[in-house]
Amino acid sequence: MRPITLLVAKDLRRKFRAPLGLAITLSFPLIFAGMIALVFGSHGDAIPKVRLLVENRDQDALLSGGLVSALTSTQMAEYFDVKVVREEGAALMEKGEASALLRIPKGFSRSLVDGAPVSLVLVRNPAEGILPEIAEQAAQTLAEALSGGSRVLRRPLEQLRPYFESGGVRITDDGVAAISVAIKRSIEGARPFLAPPVITLEGAFASNPADPTGSKRGNGVSQIFLLVLPGVAVYTLFLVGDQGMRDLLTEAAEGTLRRQLAGPIDARTLLVGKAAYTAVLASLALAVLSIVGVLVGSTGADPLGFLVLSLALILAVTGAAATVYGFARTERQGATLASVVYLVLGFAGGSFLPLESLPPSVRAIAPFSPFYWGSQGYRRLVADGAGLGSILPNVAVLAGLGIVLLAIGAAALGSVVRRGAAA
Amino acid sequence: MFQVEKLVKRFGEIRAVDGISFEIRKGELYGLLGPNGAGKTTTMSMLSGLLRPDEGRILFDGMDLALDPIAVKARLGIVPQETALYENLTGRENLRFWGGLYGLSGKQLDQAVDRVLDQVGLSSRARDPVKTYSGGMKRRLNLGMGLVHSPHAVLMDEPTVGIDVQARLNILEAVRQVVASGATVLYTTHYLEEAESLCDRIGIMDHGRILAEGTLDELKRRVGNKEIVSVRGSFDAEAAKARLVTTPGVLAVSAEPGKLVLSVDGSGRAAVELLAGVLSSGMQVEGVSIQPPSLNSLFLDLTGRELRD
Repeated sequence: MRPITLLVAKDLRRKFRAPLGLAITLSFPLIFAGMIALVFGSHGDAIPKVRLLVENRDQDALLSGGLVSALTSTQMAEYFDVKVVREEGAALMEKGEASALLRIPKGFSRSLVDGAPVSLVLVRNPAEGILPEIAEQAAQTLAEALSGGSRVLRRPLEQLRPYFESGGVRITDDGVAAISVAIKRSIEGARPFLAPPVITLEGAFASNPADPTGSKRGNGVSQIFLLVLPGVAVYTLFLVGDQGMRDLLTEAAEGTLRRQLAGPIDARTLLVGKAAYTAVLASLALAVLSIVGVLVGSTGADPLGFLVLSLALILAVTGAAATVYGFARTERQGATLASVVYLVLGFAGGSFLPLESLPPSVRAIAPFSPFYWGSQGYRRLVADGAGLGSILPNVAVLAGLGIVLLAIGAAALGSVVRRGAAA
Repeated sequence: MFQVEKLVKRFGEIRAVDGISFEIRKGELYGLLGPNGAGKTTTMSMLSGLLRPDEGRILFDGMDLALDPIAVKARLGIVPQETALYENLTGRENLRFWGGLYGLSGKQLDQAVDRVLDQVGLSSRARDPVKTYSGGMKRRLNLGMGLVHSPHAVLMDEPTVGIDVQARLNILEAVRQVVASGATVLYTTHYLEEAESLCDRIGIMDHGRILAEGTLDELKRRVGNKEIVSVRGSFDAEAAKARLVTTPGVLAVSAEPGKLVLSVDGSGRAAVELLAGVLSSGMQVEGVSIQPPSLNSLFLDLTGRELRD
């Protein structure tokens, strides 16, 4: 045991004498998660509004006017910042001053009354991702509602026709009464199909099981930071593990491995020492990232679950690094191989982007990546407040993978050590 | 202390070490002298347990290295040819690590580290990172790391290669101190003068074989009266070699562009007649030197090449 302690202490001392590489690696997840959080969470608790321009080319018409009124209503103002424009809509879009432009075409109201096909035009801002999508979905819903409405209210709309004609008659009290009655009858006729709704949907924020009050965790920035951090932190731990095991090839190149092998320790002790160093380095990195996570997110996680998952992850990290460097001929070859393998597995495992946003083909292969099991496990512990019980599959997969990779890596590293001795 | 019996090491078709046997006695400084590629470092690697011999065996104090490598290696100190140091650590930290690896701890380790730092003249720089050391200082620390655990025997593989004269003298002095302290030393070198000035016994090695072995006096006696005549100038060395090799009294000739080295019988007038023949042959000679009998004469006799080749 003492030789292993000496080997680990020596390697840690060397690492801390030249900490730049480790510091840069550790800063990556914090910067990455921080930037994402600042970009998407800087509105605090407020939901960003869709800036919608409405260009009504069907001026002075009854139905298009009603549509504009609906869009500028107080209910819509909760989610949409609507601005009614005339001809300057396109120019404002060019300047990027709105998420989308909704154009009501000339003759819209008449077409609706005639039951003729009519199109609403939505121009999206290509510089924005999500908000124009929301505008399009809203416009789609609006179009469907208008289509349904025009069919249901076909008869009363027919009665409105004389009043759309240019130079047409002014509407009288009798006319208003007749149309109102027609509308009422149409709606009542349709009521069995429309009301009460068979299915209702209620919007709500997900509450935290560990927090019965349902109080939100931190502000928008810290919430997004905690959502992004686990994935990139797992990726970073693999990079830190890579640094640890790469040291074996560094020592082989510098002759110190050969010198140790000429001493009173065998190759197995040396390998265990380097694996222990890798594990300790990864543990320290995990501790630093966890502390930052707690400080930024002002939140905690089930300590037992966190500890067990971390141990399993560190086992997987050490095993992966041992395997990569077991098959590498040189330090540079190993570093390149590790970068490529970890990047691919990290992307496929949802370390950088939420899995939900990835294509189905990528989501299908995600469970084959250890990054998936690590990232998902930490997200469940940190973001969902889950306990050890719900992350046991993650622990089992990571620990099993770690043991298998360590066995493969140890066999492969044996030849690295023999090459180092014979160099 | 060391018994090496019929040691063989092959790398593919090449027999890097070809059945050598020798013995090193306790407290002795044994030199393996030979040119680069002679098989000295391969022999050293097998003695230090880094390479497994294909044939033969190595006994240290009666223990078979192949059967009990850890026990043997614990009693050995290794000074490799290339400096193998941790550049980010200080000299003291390097020594403490290696001492610890050999089982030293606490006060015993502190004393051993202080002793070695003093021995290699690095006490004043002990707290500086090794990366700030000069090449000579690194060589001295490299030597010290093989001594920190007071080994029974020290294997030194060309410890003075590539350093300046002063650093070399410092290392040679440290080696003498090691021997004076009672340790056994195996020292490989391709420097004649180091072997001559340091070693109690010398094995001359080439192409994986030990060609001659003995004390300096014994080896010189084998040389007899042979003198080395070196001729430098602008001439076809191979053609001159072919012409001069049959000259009476010429025992061996080594040729390289612009230079001839001849081993001649020094008991008669062979050297004089050789020089007369050279001058009358029309060769454009720029310099001639005659060296008294030395290990170089013996090596030239044994191999047909200069040791410095």
